[in-house]
Amino acid sequence: MPIGGFIVNVHPDHLENSIRDLKRISGLEVYGSDEKGNVVVVLEADSSKAMEEMVEKIMKMENVLSVGLTYFNVEDEIEIQEEQGKKTIH
Amino acid sequence: MGLSRREFLKRTAALTAASYVGINLPFKNENTSQASDADSWHKGTCRLCGAGCRLELGVKNGKAVALRGISDSRTNYGYLCMKGMLFYKLMGYNNPDRLKKPLYRKSKKEPFKEISWDEALNIAAKEFAKAVKNHGNNSVAYYGSGQALTEETYLFQKIFRGGLRTNNVEGNPRLCMASAVGGYLTSFGADEPIGSYTNFERASCFFIIGSNMAEAHPVLFRRVMRRKLDNRETVKVINADPRVSPTSRIADLHLQFKPGTDLALLNAMAHVIVKEKLYDETFLKNYATFRMGKKKEVSFEKYKEFLKDYTPEKAADICGGNITPEKIRTAALWFAKSEGTVSIWTMGINQRKRGVWANNLIHNLHILTGQLCRPGADSFSLTGQPNACGGVREGGGLCHILPGHRLVKKDKLRHQVEKLWGIPQGRIPPKPGYHTIAMFEAVNLGKIKAIWINCTSPAQSLPNCDKYRKGMSREDVFMVVTDIFPTKTTELANLVLPTAFHFEKTGVYGCTERRSQLTVKAVDAPGEAKPDVWIVREWALKLSKELNDPVIKKCVEPFLGKEPDYELPKAIWDEYTQKLTKGRDNDLRGATYEVLKKLPDGVQWPAPTKEWALKGGTDIKFVRGLDPLADKHAKDQKPYQFYGPAHPDKKLWIWLRPQRGPEEMPDSDYPFYLSTGRVIDHWHTSSMTGRIPELMRANPYAYVEINPKDAKKLGIKPGDMVEVASRRGKNILPAKVYVGPCEGMVFVYWHDQKESRMINRVTKDAFDPGSKEPEFKICACKIRKVSGPKPLKPFLVEMKT
Repeated sequence: MPIGGFIVNVHPDHLENSIRDLKRISGLEVYGSDEKGNVVVVLEADSSKAMEEMVEKIMKMENVLSVGLTYFNVEDEIEIQEEQGKKTIH
Repeated sequence: MGLSRREFLKRTAALTAASYVGINLPFKNENTSQASDADSWHKGTCRLCGAGCRLELGVKNGKAVALRGISDSRTNYGYLCMKGMLFYKLMGYNNPDRLKKPLYRKSKKEPFKEISWDEALNIAAKEFAKAVKNHGNNSVAYYGSGQALTEETYLFQKIFRGGLRTNNVEGNPRLCMASAVGGYLTSFGADEPIGSYTNFERASCFFIIGSNMAEAHPVLFRRVMRRKLDNRETVKVINADPRVSPTSRIADLHLQFKPGTDLALLNAMAHVIVKEKLYDETFLKNYATFRMGKKKEVSFEKYKEFLKDYTPEKAADICGGNITPEKIRTAALWFAKSEGTVSIWTMGINQRKRGVWANNLIHNLHILTGQLCRPGADSFSLTGQPNACGGVREGGGLCHILPGHRLVKKDKLRHQVEKLWGIPQGRIPPKPGYHTIAMFEAVNLGKIKAIWINCTSPAQSLPNCDKYRKGMSREDVFMVVTDIFPTKTTELANLVLPTAFHFEKTGVYGCTERRSQLTVKAVDAPGEAKPDVWIVREWALKLSKELNDPVIKKCVEPFLGKEPDYELPKAIWDEYTQKLTKGRDNDLRGATYEVLKKLPDGVQWPAPTKEWALKGGTDIKFVRGLDPLADKHAKDQKPYQFYGPAHPDKKLWIWLRPQRGPEEMPDSDYPFYLSTGRVIDHWHTSSMTGRIPELMRANPYAYVEINPKDAKKLGIKPGDMVEVASRRGKNILPAKVYVGPCEGMVFVYWHDQKESRMINRVTKDAFDPGSKEPEFKICACKIRKVSGPKPLKPFLVEMKT
C-alpha cells in the first residue's frame, strides 16, 4: 500500500471549498494548508495504480492548479510483488 | 504505545510535504521507535524530461522502495511529477519486460536467439569492420539519444570519429531542439540559454509560446504558476498557441493563431515595439546589430522598413484564430514594459520548417527591449530530454559538432580534439556526417551498412516513419540496438544489447539550464544488462583487432581496467571535462564527480574552477561579476560581454526573417492541419512509460482531438473511429471532441506503438534547411468517420525469441 506526500495547489480564492472537496476523497488526509493555496495532503492507496487514479481525480477538480509529489513510499508493494514473484517461480 | 509502521510513513510523507511550503505540523517523527523508511538514500536526477528535477531514491534490501524530492535543489525545490513518481517501476526487479540477455539473429526475418556478451560484441565488431573494409568509413553510423548519459555519448562519438574515422554521429535531439541550437547560435553567438530557472521567480511577464508546459514540464510550470498566483496584479502571463491547453489556465491573454503563422505574430509584436518606441536604445547601441545574412549587416532603418509588412492589422489577418490587432498590441506592451520578461518555448517553435527563424524572432523581441541578462529577463528554450543539452549539444553528439561546442569543419578545433585524444592529426574527417533525416535516407539507399542505435526508437519517432522503416528492414543493413525494453526499432535489429537503466549505472545529465548533475549507481541492473560505457569500451577493443587499427584501441586506452559502475564513467567524465571543455564556453573543469556529489543539484557552466563550481556555477551568462568568462573575455568596460564563439563582432544579432508557412498547407484534398505532441502520462514513444501499468491505463492509446465545430460538420461524435490520412500514410484513431485545437486543425499524441495509431506514419519529413530539424508540428491531412466507437486494447512491442 503506497503512501504519497503531496502539495496540492488550489486557487487561493477557493481554499476552503477546495479543502472540503479534497477531504471527500477516501484515502486522502489533509494535514495543513496556508493562505497561498498550498495544501499538505497524504494519499494512501491499495496500489500505485490506485494512487495514480486518485491523483488524476484531484488534477481534474475545479480550482486545483497543480499536484506536486514530494515523497513516495512503496515498500509494501515491492514486498508483495516479490512474494507474488516467488510464488510464480515455485 | 508506539506508532504503527503505516502511521510513521504517513507522518514522514506529511512532514516532507509540509517542510517544502513552511507549514508547521503539530507532530514530529523524532523519538519514535520506528526503523527509518529506507536503508539508504541515493541522490540523482529524474530520468524523464529535460527539467533536471533532483530526487533521492530510497533503497531497502537492495531494492528501490521510496522516492523523495530534494528540497534544496534549484531545479525543482523537491517537487516531482507523476511521470517522475513512477520511474522506479522500470527498474529490473520491478519490470518483467526488461531486456536481460544479448539477442541476435543473422536475418531480420528470423526470431532472436540469446547469446553471450562475448559472442555479441564479436559479431558487432566483425560487422562494423566488414562495412568499413568493403564500403568505406562513411558506411557506418551511430544514432544516439538525449537520454544517454554524457559519458556514453562522449565515448560513442570518440570511437566513431577518432576510431572509425566518420562523423556519422547523430542523435534524436536533432528531432527536438536542433532549431533552438540554431536560434541561439545565430542570435546570441552561443548555444544554450543565457539565464536560468531562477528567472521564473523574478519575472513580471511570461511569454509562453509553442509549449504546453503544464503537461510536458509540470514541475517548472508550478514555479511559473506560483509566481503568477502570488503576484496576480503585477505579473502577466501570455500564452500563444493554436491549441488551448492546461497551460492556458493561468494565462491573462491567450493568443490562438492558425498553425504556422506565428512568425507574423512575432514580427507584429516587434512592429509595435518599434513603432511605440518601446525598445531599449542604449542596449541596442551597445550590444546589437541587424542582419539579413551572416555577412550582411543592415541598419535599424532597414529593419523598420521590413517590419512595415507586419502591422498588427496585417498580422491579425494572417494569424486568424482569435488574434486581433488589439491583442497583439497588448502582448507587445506587456512584453516590452515589464520589469523582466521571460519567454518559454519548446517543440511548437522548434519542430518546424522555419524553426530557426521562429527562434530568432523570439530572441529579436528580447534584444530589442533589452529583456536579457538582468534578473527576470530571458529568452529560454525548454528541452524535452534529460540530456539533450549536456550529452548531445555539449558532448559532441551531432554530425557537425565535436565535444565542447566545436564545429567539425573548423580545422583548428578538429585538430585540437585529435591532439587532446592523442591520435594522429587528420584522423577526424573534415566533413560533417549525415544529419538525422539524411542518415536514414542513406540507410534507405543502402549507403550505410552498419548502424548502432542507442537508447531511442527511430522506427517510431522519425516523421513519415514508414519510409525509413523500409531502410532499417533491409537485410544488407546490420543494425545494433542498445536499450532496456523491446521497441519498434528492436523489431528491425540484428543485435539487441540490454543496458543498465538509470540508477543502475553512474553518469551525468545536463539539463535545460546548463546544469550538470550526477546520478550514482544505487541498485543492480537485471540479468546480464550492462552499463553502455562498458559495452562501447569492450566493442572498441574487438574492433581495433578486427580492423588491425591501434588508434581505435588508443581511444579507449585511458579507460582500460576501470570497473564499469563508477570508475569507468568517472574517468570518461574527467577526460571530457578536464581536457575537452577547457577554454570552451561550456567549461566544466570545476564540476568533478567529487564536487557534483557535494551539491544537492549540480553545476551550471561556465564553471572553470572547483571554487566556482561549488557555488553552483554560473546563473546568468555574459554578465561581468556573475560569469567568470565574461570577466576573462571582456574587451571593454560594459557590463555585458557577449563572448560566444559564433559571432566575430561579439554582438547580438536581430534578424530580418519574413513570415513563412509550413511546407505543406491544407488544400481541398487535405483540408486540415495536423499537429502532434505529448500527453502528461506518456513520454516520447512510450517505450518506458508504456511499461508502467498506471500510466498506460490512464492513456492506453492515442486519439485524435477534433474541434467541436469541425466534428459537427463531419458528423463525428466522441469515441467514433476516425481516419486521419495524409499524402504519406494513415491512422485510425478514436475521436476526442474538444475545444483544444482551433477549427480546421486536429491534434494527435505520438506515443502509441500500435501501427494503425502511430501518427508518424502520417507526419511529414520536411525539415528546416538550417537546423535540419523535421516539421513534426504541421502538415496537411484529411479526416473522416470510419465507424462508431470500438473497444480498443493498448499495445506494446514484445520481443520474439
